[in-house]
Parts: sequence; structure tokens; C-alpha cells
Amino acid sequence: MSDAVFTPSPPSRIRLALRKPGFVAGLLIIGFSLMLALFPGGFAPYDPNAIDYLAVRQPPSWAHPFGTDLLGRDSLSRVIWAYQVNMQMAVLATVFALVIGVVVGALVGYYRGIADLIFGRVVDAVITFPFLVLVIAVVAVLGPGLVNMYIAITLVGWVYYARLMRAEVIAQMGNDYAAAGIVMGYSDRRIIFRHLLPNAITPVIVYWMTDMALAILLGSSLGYLGLGAQPPQSEWGVLIAEGRNFISTAWWLSLMPGIAIVLTGLGFSLLGDGLADLLRPRG
Amino acid sequence: MSSLFYILKRFLMMIPTFFLVMIIIFLLVRLLPGDPAIAMAGDRASDADIQAIRERLGLTEPMLVQFWLFLTNTVQGDLGRSILMRTDVIDVIADRLPITVFLTVYSVALSLLIAGPLAFVAALNRGRWPDAVIRTVFQIGLSMPVFYIGLVLLTFLAAQLRLFPVGGYGDTFGDRLYHLFLPSITVALYTSAIIMRNLRSAIIEVLDAEYVQFARAKGLPPRLILGRHVLRNALISTVTLLGLSIGNLMSGTLVTETVFAVPGMGRLMLEAIFARDYPLIQGLTLTFAVLVSFVFLMTDLFQSRLDPRMRLQ
Amino acid sequence: MMKTVLGVTVAATLALPALAQERGGTLNFARYDGSRLIDPIYADRNPDIWMVGSLFDTLLRGSADGNSVEPGLAESFSVSDDGKTVSMTLREGVLFADGSAMSGDDVVFSLDRARNPDLSPWAGLLGSIDTVSADGTAITIALKSPDPTILSMLATFNTAIVSKAAFEAATGETDQDKSAAIFAAKTAGVGSGPFYLCGFEQGASMDFCANENYWRMGADGEPLPYLDGVHFEIIPDDATRILSLQAGEVDAAEFIPFSRVSELDADPNIDMQLYPSTRIIYSPINTRETRADGSPNPLADARVRQALNYGTNKEALIGLVLHGAGQPMSSPLMAKATQYADDLSPLYAYDMEKAKALMSEAGVGEGTQITFTTLAGSADDATIFAALQQMWAPLGIDLEVEQVDGATRGAKNRSGEFDIHTYGWVNDVNDPSQVVGWLGHTPTAKAVGTGWENAEFNTLFDGAAAEMDPEARKDMFAKMQALYADAAPLLFMYETPFAVALGNAVEGYVQTPLGNNIFEEATVSR
Repeated sequence: MSDAVFTPSPPSRIRLALRKPGFVAGLLIIGFSLMLALFPGGFAPYDPNAIDYLAVRQPPSWAHPFGTDLLGRDSLSRVIWAYQVNMQMAVLATVFALVIGVVVGALVGYYRGIADLIFGRVVDAVITFPFLVLVIAVVAVLGPGLVNMYIAITLVGWVYYARLMRAEVIAQMGNDYAAAGIVMGYSDRRIIFRHLLPNAITPVIVYWMTDMALAILLGSSLGYLGLGAQPPQSEWGVLIAEGRNFISTAWWLSLMPGIAIVLTGLGFSLLGDGLADLLRPRG
Repeated sequence: MSSLFYILKRFLMMIPTFFLVMIIIFLLVRLLPGDPAIAMAGDRASDADIQAIRERLGLTEPMLVQFWLFLTNTVQGDLGRSILMRTDVIDVIADRLPITVFLTVYSVALSLLIAGPLAFVAALNRGRWPDAVIRTVFQIGLSMPVFYIGLVLLTFLAAQLRLFPVGGYGDTFGDRLYHLFLPSITVALYTSAIIMRNLRSAIIEVLDAEYVQFARAKGLPPRLILGRHVLRNALISTVTLLGLSIGNLMSGTLVTETVFAVPGMGRLMLEAIFARDYPLIQGLTLTFAVLVSFVFLMTDLFQSRLDPRMRLQ
Repeated sequence: MMKTVLGVTVAATLALPALAQERGGTLNFARYDGSRLIDPIYADRNPDIWMVGSLFDTLLRGSADGNSVEPGLAESFSVSDDGKTVSMTLREGVLFADGSAMSGDDVVFSLDRARNPDLSPWAGLLGSIDTVSADGTAITIALKSPDPTILSMLATFNTAIVSKAAFEAATGETDQDKSAAIFAAKTAGVGSGPFYLCGFEQGASMDFCANENYWRMGADGEPLPYLDGVHFEIIPDDATRILSLQAGEVDAAEFIPFSRVSELDADPNIDMQLYPSTRIIYSPINTRETRADGSPNPLADARVRQALNYGTNKEALIGLVLHGAGQPMSSPLMAKATQYADDLSPLYAYDMEKAKALMSEAGVGEGTQITFTTLAGSADDATIFAALQQMWAPLGIDLEVEQVDGATRGAKNRSGEFDIHTYGWVNDVNDPSQVVGWLGHTPTAKAVGTGWENAEFNTLFDGAAAEMDPEARKDMFAKMQALYADAAPLLFMYETPFAVALGNAVEGYVQTPLGNNIFEEATVSR
């Protein structure tokens, strides 16, 4: 195989994957989450920001299946609208880090030399830095809010993707087809982006799935500290933080968004495992 | 290459890393809105008071002069004086560090106790129901926000059932194990999920490897295969993972320490950031960096011991 | 002739010890934040200020209602007719916690230290003092000009008496080093308060031990305090602090979120206390013609600020944030409990029609963007924002939130880079001048950062600072309150009590309207 762009024979692999209940469950959860995130208005029974002074902290009922919150807002509607924020968080907090990391990692892994040396120091500096502290400090400098949170997480997060990508590219370089490509006089760009990258990216994609679940958790931690989503935007971490004083008296306030976080995390993780199987080169 | 030479080389490589860390943190704290003088003087102080405090703290000096002082003092082992605590940063850190280290080590130990056996069960039953159940349960642990799970544990196990204390962190070793159990298990729920995933796939990888298949075909007893190949491989991958995530583990205690009222480094860092206590933030960050680098080095040395294929380079 | 107020013998000493007084034991107290340095002149944060009175004593003491003073370390005091001399007689036989006797020298030393602007951030409060001298137990304070607040100042934490000998013997070169060394020593040291500091772990815990030499007598005729000591645990998380009390690990937990007051009130094992306070919650409004970025500021028009005040349903806000445990501000400049507070209630009673009329009169139209700066992580602030956003929408206001930490909020207040932000205040002194200066007097703090400037107000304020006739002074404060209410540089919100949850074993603990934690007469039955 001289020009071996790794191409799985799609139909059989996908059919095989769809037989795995975990992968299917993951697909369903994330698919449904995306639906909720894209069309929250179609699913939420109430306006998530409608305050009702007279009906605060109502327990779950037919009218309000998840009860009402501290301001009398419908908790179910708030959890549903939070899908919009949290799914956006999962994607936007990671996708730029993914792209930057993949490109930098591939280049550094291919060329090595002085760039690799500098890259090594940067990686060391970033990973020896307390992660949460860096994110909190960057958010504090830029001002709280989702966009600044994405910037902060990206500034730190790309390093992890780049490190993974670099290692994979170096490993792939040892393979025949890379050597063949060089011998055949292909341009660096072609070798990197047409040959090395598609083969090296599988673990990165799998890591990305986990990272999206982590991004939701991190985002909710920052929301809890008041540095993430801004009120009245509803976000799971903020919703849990609002309900945390009432775990024994109004448990539904924190439990429902908690379930949403766990379910979405589970979805991403099952999807990641399934993708790993799907994309694993057969050997 | 002797390992002594290797260690020396690693130490030399740490110098630019620490230098970079110092530049980043030095600039970052000064970019934060407000400054220690405003935080220290309080909202009611006059502008003149604040200017006086700035001068006393040396904040009116040019940036380069301030950085040079920070650099030279740090090299001499002087991290400066905490504005918030009114004592030397070194002393403050010496007070808090053992608690965070204890919490981290404790939670890692608990994670290993939980994740180790279950990872074996899951791997050996790959694809069957025990595997699915174990993975799902751990996945739930991985997705739970620390501040929520911590509070749930406190509410039910501590306040209602009175099995554990709500606050405090104990004086003696045994006392500390008891007091810090809940915060540690809270962190461990998360850490063990990561370890379990990693360990499970490491074991599966070995089981699928040709030399193990061969050993099986030769009829070697499964216990021997497990002991000789699987355990070692599992240990290597777990140590690597723990080494790499030690930084996240330690900074992750920030939220846990706040919820459980444990006076460790994480909570201190949060307070220091809010008070714009430049020397303390800088000192804490450097301490983190030194600790994490040390753990990285130990991980590498450990790996090379266990795995002859991985030569020090 | 001199107006003389004679010392009243502590009534309790005359009472017969009919019932055995509960004594001994350690009270465990959960705090939201720790003290860092408890020294009369360096205490600058509430967790420090509110503990000074437990370790140190002042010459005078605030009365229970907070509106007058009673004898403290001075057993009698008087002010001369021209208002320029304060004479006091020290109580005989008062000992510091280390057993040494207190003398006039200690008073001179302490007051000189307190009014030294190079040392104390509070020196400005004692600006009228010219000299302090002692002759035996007779103390004379000569003033540069009459000062109506001087007696209140002598009952304030920053004038507490420290032992000169013990302080000077401490290690350290500067005054601040000595103070820190004394605090770190954790021994019966420089104060004569009911307790001394006997344990301290930065950010974790603190211990007070009973001062056996304390001069005040308890109901049983023996010296106070009744307790052997107080142990403080720092638990910053509200929910954890309450759990700690419910689990019986502590006997008291302070700063209970108002949303949980009714739940704890219903708990038979908990005595939920709401202590009256001088705390007010308000929001400064930027009154400058232009915003920091140079754009025109719609809030510069007083009618718009009035409209916002009319458009705010305070009762609803109190219901949502405080769950009923509070009341709307009735004076625009201070809490009800403050001396000279006018009752102007209802202060901007909710009236949407009036608010709309004012808005259209001011020509401020639909879609006016205003940023509301809140404290990140504060549940109360988040609720206030959500409610205001909805309440003000009919006025055409598009309210946006900006969450920042405390240091950033302070910096923004100073530089004027805000539209409206949340804020709160508790008096440190038993006198309205401090809070009025802070909120309205432009030279003091740009009228709490709003940039509001009113010449008449400033003149009245300066005049009141030298007015010795209480009636005339009261009148001046009334005028200032009327001016301020009309100009509305603030969103006037509400007053809140101090919510402290006590275990049933605790009796006699008090938090004063100024916030001071008083353990002197507290008991705990085990």
C-alpha cells in the first residue's frame, strides 16, 4: 500500500457499530440533546425566565414536572433551555482547541527540531500550571461570560490535543506509507494533511468526546463560581448552585440539572467508545 | 546513559519551564482588574491612601524592576510577604501544603482501591453485563459536579446519618483519615472513573497482544499470565496517567476544599486571587509547578524501571 | 458648669444570685470568613473589626439601642460647655489579660496610636483630637474644634485600649510588625477584653480563652465571661456551615442565607436569631454626564434614577431575596437603627405609572441599555438582577448583567466604570456621620462612587461635623436625607438583619447592630 489513505469500508463498519447497544445509546442521547439545544422553545412548556413571586420552590407536579425554582420559574423549562448553553459549551470550549492542537501537533511532530523543543517547554509550562487557576485568572482578566470562558479554556486546552497529535504523528512517521510518501517526493503539506493526519487523528477524536463532557463539567464549575454563564441564562452548573442550599428541602432544584449533566456526559462517553471501535484501523 | 545524567538533564530543562511559568503568572496577576492596594485598603479608603499602599508594596516601580525582584528573590528562596496574611508566603504555604498533599494522596489511594479490582472484572468480562454496569456507574461518577456530589454526601452521610464529621481536618493521622474521608471520596469518585477506563483498556490491550495469546495457546495458567504481563502493563499505564493528571488533581481540590471547609492550597489560591495578593498567587503557582514537575520526573523514573523497553532519553 | 454623666453601677452586681449561673464550657462558632489580624487600629475587614471588642475594651460602651454611650473602662465622662474638652476618670483596678494594671499611660499610648494617620486607616475619624493627656486616673482629651461624634468614637473599636508595656515589648521594628507578633504569640497579651486570643490557624480556626482578670461582673457576682472560651471554625460555604450546626459539630453558625431562615426557624433544635442591624443593601447609580467610555449616560438625569426607584417593587424583592426577613429602606442614607434616621417611608413606593411618566418626561426611550454589575457567585445578586431585569422591562430598559469579583467591583466603583452595581454597608460607628459621608459627601468618596455632587448637601455635612446642639444637628441630617432622597443617586433597596442560627444550648450571645460579635454574657449548657 503506497498511497494508503486509511479508508474503512464504511457500510460494514457502521452496521457493525450500530449493533453495539452502547454506541446506539450514545448516539440517541447526544442526538436528542442536540435537538433540545437547537429547538429548546419547541420542548420547554414555559418561558424559562418568567418569574412568579407567588409560586416559588413548588415541588414537582403535573403543571411543573420538575417543580419551580427560587423565583417561581419552571425548572423543567430552565433545564431544557440550559441544553442550549451547555451543548454550546461542549462544542465551543473544545473545538478551537482541537483544531489548533491538531495543526500544531502535526506540524511539530513532522518537523521536530527547534520548534519541537520550544513546544516541549510550552507544554511543560502549561501542564505544570494549575489548570483551574489559569482559567479563573484568564476569565477574571477578560471579564466573566461564556465567550471569555471559551477563550480561557482554549488557551489552555489546545496543548493537550497538540501533545496527543504530536505523539501520534511521530508514531505514524515510522510507518511505511509516510516513508513512501517522502520517497515519492510528495509535498510536506500533502504528507502531513493527506496522509499522516487522517491516520493519526483517531485517538484525538476519541479524546475530544471525553473532553466535551469535561468541558460541560468545567463550565458548570465556573458557573458555580459565577464566572461562566451569566444570569438569567440558565446553565446546569448555575442551576445546581442555586439549588444547593435546598438539597434536603427542595431536592428537585439541584437533582434535575444534575441528571442532565450526567446523562449528557454518559452520551459523549458512549459515543467516544463507539467511535474508537469504529475508527480503529483493522490490523 | 546513566540515570543520574538523565536527572541532571531534566533539571536543566525545568529551568526554562519555570521561567515561563513565572512570566505568565507575573503578567497574568497584573492584568487582573483592581490591585492589591485597592483590595487591601477596602472600599472606603481614599485614593491617596491607596497610592501610599501601592508605594509601600513597591507596585509603583516599573514592571521590569518588579519582575527582576521577583526573579532574584525567588532564586534565593524568598517568595515575599503575603499581603493578605501579613506573613511570609513560604510560611503560609508550609501551613497549607501538607493538607492538600494529604487530600490528594488519600483520594488517589481510594481511587486505586476502587478502580483497580473493578477494572479487572470489567476487562475480563469485556462486552458482557458486568462490564457494562461497571462502566456506566463510573461514567456517572465522572459526570457529577464535585460541588454537588460533595454536598449530597455531607447532607446524608454526615449531617443526617452522622457517619462522618461535616467540618475540620483532624490533628493525628488516624483522625485525619476519618475527617478527610468525605472530601477524598468525592474527588475519588471522579479520579477512579478515569483510572478505571484507562486500566480497563490497558488490560484489554495486553490480553489481546500476540505474546499473551501465544502464552495462552501454550497453556500457561491464566493466573500467571495475569500476574506477569497484565499487572505490569496495568501498573505502567496507571502510573503514567496519575503522573500526568497530578496537576489537575491538585488544582481540582480548589472546589472540594471550599465545599468541605478544608483549609488547603486550593482554597488559599481562590482567596489570594480575590484579594489580588500578588506574592501569594505567584508563590502558590510556583509551588504547584515545582510539585508537578517533581511528580513528572518520578513518573518517568518509575516507568523506566518497570518497562525496560522505555529507555530514558 | 459641666454637663456630667455619671457612671452607672452595673445593675447586675446588685442582683442576688438566686439562680445558679451557667458557667464554663467552650462555645463552637462557625464563621463565614476568618480574622487575619485583630488589632484596634489595623482591623479593616468586618471579620476583624467585629472581634476587636472581645479582646479589647473601649473607654465607653455603646448603649443597647446604639443611640447613646455608657461608661466602659472610663467610669465617668463629661464634655466641657465649649465642646472642646473631654474629661474622663478611669475605672480603678482594671487589669489587662496578662495581669498587669491598666493606667492612664496606656490610654494616651492607645489613642495616640489610633489617631496616627501613618498607622491607622481609621485615623481620620479622630481628626478633631488635639492632645490626649493623663494624670493618674484622670484623662483629658483636648479637641481642636468641637466634635459631636467624639463620645461615639471613644466607644468604637479603633479607640480600644492596648497595654503600652506589652506592646512595646513585642518583637519587631515597626508598629505593624509588633502588632503581628503579638497576634501570632497567642498569649494573654495586650488587651483587657473579656477574652484573649489563645489559638489561631490561618484560614481554619481561632480560639478565644476567658480573661480571668476581666472587670465586668456577671449576674452571679463573679467576673464575666461565663464561658471558658470560644472556638471558631471557618466554613465559607453556606450550606456546609448549616450542616455543621445541624450535625451538632458547632453551637452557632453566622450569616445564614435568608432563603433558609424559615426552614431553620421550624427546626426544634435550632434557635434562629435575626439581630437588628445597621446593614443596608443598595445600588449606587453612576450620575456622571458621560459613561467611562465617553457615551452619554441616561442615568445622569435624576428623573431616570427616580423612575428606576419607583419601578422597583421592593416588597417583591424582599420576598424573593430575603424571604421576608427584611424591610425596605426608610431613610435614603442609613438604616432605621442609626441615630437621626428619618422615616421617609414609603421611600419610592412601587408605582409603575409614575415611573413610566418620569421616563417619558426624561425622554429616555425603548431599548435603553443599562449594565448591572453584580458580585460573581452571589445567589442574592443573581436573584436581584433577574428580578430587576423583569421589573424594569416595562420602562423600556434592557438590563444586562456583568458579574465580577469584589476587587474588580471596588476598582470599578473608584474609576466610575459602571452603570449600577450592588453594594452594602454596615455602620462601624454609632453615629450617622460615617455612613452619610460615605454615601453622599462628594469629597469623602465621590458619593459612594456615583459622582453625585450637591453643594448644599456638602455644606450641610461639613456644618453637622461641628454642630454640638443635637437638635440642630438632627435638623441638618434631616435636610440631607430629603435632598438625597430626591436626587436618588442610589437604587434604594432594603435593610437586612444579621441572621445567626444557634443551637438550643446557647444563651446570651448577641450580635450588635454594628455587627460586633458579643460573647461576654453567652453561655452554653452541655
